[in-house]
Amino acid sequence: MINNLTVSGSPHIHKPVSVSRIMWTVVFSLIPAGIAGVVIFGLDALWVTLVAVAAAVLTELTFGILTKKKITILDGSAVITGILLAFNLPPQVPLWLPIVGAVFSIAIGKQVFGGLGQNIFNPALVGRVFLMASWPKYMTTFNRPFSFDAVTSATPLAILKEGKVLEHISYLDLFLGKHGGCIGEVCILALLIGAALLLIKGYISWHIPATYIFTTAIFTYIFGGAQIFSGDWLFHILSGGLVLGAFFMATDYVATPLTAKGQLIFGVGCGLLTAVIRIWGGYPEGVSYAILMMNAATPFIDRYTKNRIYGVR
Amino acid sequence: MKEMARYGFILGVICVVAAGLLATVNALTGPKILAAAQSEEQAALKEVMPTAVKFTAIKLEADNTTLYYKVFDRQDKLIGFVFKASGKGYSSVIETLAGIFLDDKISVIKVISLNETPGLGMRVTEDKFTSQFNQQNSLDLSGVEAITGATISSRAVMDSVMKKAQEIKELIKNDK
Amino acid sequence: MKELIKEFAKGIIKENPTFVLALGLCPTLAVSVSVSNAIGMGIAATFVLLGSSLIISLVRDLIPDKIRIPCYIVIIATFVTITELCMKAYSPALNRSLGIYVPLIVVNCIVLGRAEAFACKNNLTRSFLDGLGMGVGFTLALILISSIREFLGSGQILGHTLVKGFEPVFVFGMPSGALLVIGLLLGLFNFIKDKKA
Repeated sequence: MINNLTVSGSPHIHKPVSVSRIMWTVVFSLIPAGIAGVVIFGLDALWVTLVAVAAAVLTELTFGILTKKKITILDGSAVITGILLAFNLPPQVPLWLPIVGAVFSIAIGKQVFGGLGQNIFNPALVGRVFLMASWPKYMTTFNRPFSFDAVTSATPLAILKEGKVLEHISYLDLFLGKHGGCIGEVCILALLIGAALLLIKGYISWHIPATYIFTTAIFTYIFGGAQIFSGDWLFHILSGGLVLGAFFMATDYVATPLTAKGQLIFGVGCGLLTAVIRIWGGYPEGVSYAILMMNAATPFIDRYTKNRIYGVR
Repeated sequence: MKEMARYGFILGVICVVAAGLLATVNALTGPKILAAAQSEEQAALKEVMPTAVKFTAIKLEADNTTLYYKVFDRQDKLIGFVFKASGKGYSSVIETLAGIFLDDKISVIKVISLNETPGLGMRVTEDKFTSQFNQQNSLDLSGVEAITGATISSRAVMDSVMKKAQEIKELIKNDK
Repeated sequence: MKELIKEFAKGIIKENPTFVLALGLCPTLAVSVSVSNAIGMGIAATFVLLGSSLIISLVRDLIPDKIRIPCYIVIIATFVTITELCMKAYSPALNRSLGIYVPLIVVNCIVLGRAEAFACKNNLTRSFLDGLGMGVGFTLALILISSIREFLGSGQILGHTLVKGFEPVFVFGMPSGALLVIGLLLGLFNFIKDKKA
């Protein structure tokens, strides 16, 4: 009883939500997309994911021991990094690729900056971009869905980029994930189920995902077609990693702005960059680069969107 | 004012000494540099036209830039042309040296300058890609297969060669 | 004598231009793709450093303080141009792979930095040893960075394949790889220094 009477420094409001609880909920919300990936691409997708998670957790553990800090593998953040990295890989990559990527994600993307809460960039995306720059051959070879004998097929966005005529692919196919792509990005339905859970729980807010997707849609509608105002905006939303990125990677707590206003700016920036890269850039897909660039801009956004402190002009 | 003049004088002396030194070095190395550049050019030309003996550069009179080379064999007979084609690749301008015979067939091509993505676009320099051009019709390269994952770089090489071959053909026709 | 050796040796570890002074990082990032480039660049920069240190130390009393920077730049530029012409004449291949970074030695902070911080205040022998030490330190740093980058980025050292079946990590051949390697090495150097202190 006496403890309750002790006056401590702020903050005084306590919520029964801990970092590890949020992290494990995010892990849970990613499971539908993982199942969809395994159904679409076969067991390879499962191995890639498991290997990436194991490598991420082991790296986290090693760093914890080496730097003699608290072992943080149980808070689930390394697990999320591993899953998100794997979800951004093609399903049939050799298994050393997710291992190298996960080690790089945790070691360079997170731990050299000081661990969870200190990283400037989303660690999973750091790993993905590293793999993309290092082994582009593996990172751009995709397999046709439901054919487990390694028949390659380009992603819809890659076909578009190379200027070939897109063979007819319906919006429903895109929505359900019946096309070439990375493990976790193809099935929009599964991703939305997970995202809904996080939104209902209040672990992510609508600001970044909504502005991100909306901006990309508007921009691709205006400039994405042969003439102005004729772009196929629905195609751009449903293909590539936009939905995965908008809900699960652009909403990273550490590397995104703190205030609602800042998050709106962040979302619009991501949307613009993604659309610009997709339409005029060299790569077919721009989600990971867009988010990383906006991660880098986050300190500045935070600085100029600071909430007014009560009583201070 | 007097100070100013003194500074100017000292700086002037240093510059004169430096200029004199450089002039000497330039005079010593100049011929060597020219010779090195020429032998390099001859070697590259020989590579795309192995059967040739003599190359004559056809230059644009206005600014002395080389348009293309006429290629002669041992009997001093015209057997073909060599030209440099350049096209916008993925992240750089790709320059290709190509040798063609009189019947528009390509002898050999060689990608001479580029700065593309390692592992993807950079592979256009590999034999596997460039050897596809041998004996192809320079005006129609539909038989050449682009490198998977490096379509833009591959197309840059193919399109620039085709375009330049067309231009050269026109130029020669006008000459006659 | 001992002091003179110290003057030479400080550039190699204690005041290494790349890892401790963090000078001349631009050419370091650019030419450390391969070991052969690194050696070529190191020798060229060492030559310029030696020449300019010598001459500047020689004429240090003749140059008025107010116009010393333009004078130094003219002297340095002269040596750089001599280096470039010689390289073009005797090693055109090296010149091509180093490209614009040879003329850019003029603005390499190590050269002007040593002229300004050391050669203009010290006698001929000491300036010569300082320039040599700094040049050797720069070359060694370049070789260290480039061997890591060349091995990881292409699986080769000086064109020889070391490990069969190694899938090159292309990113180390790109500028981003250079930043990664230099950043980690700087961190390592600082870590060792902190441990010692």
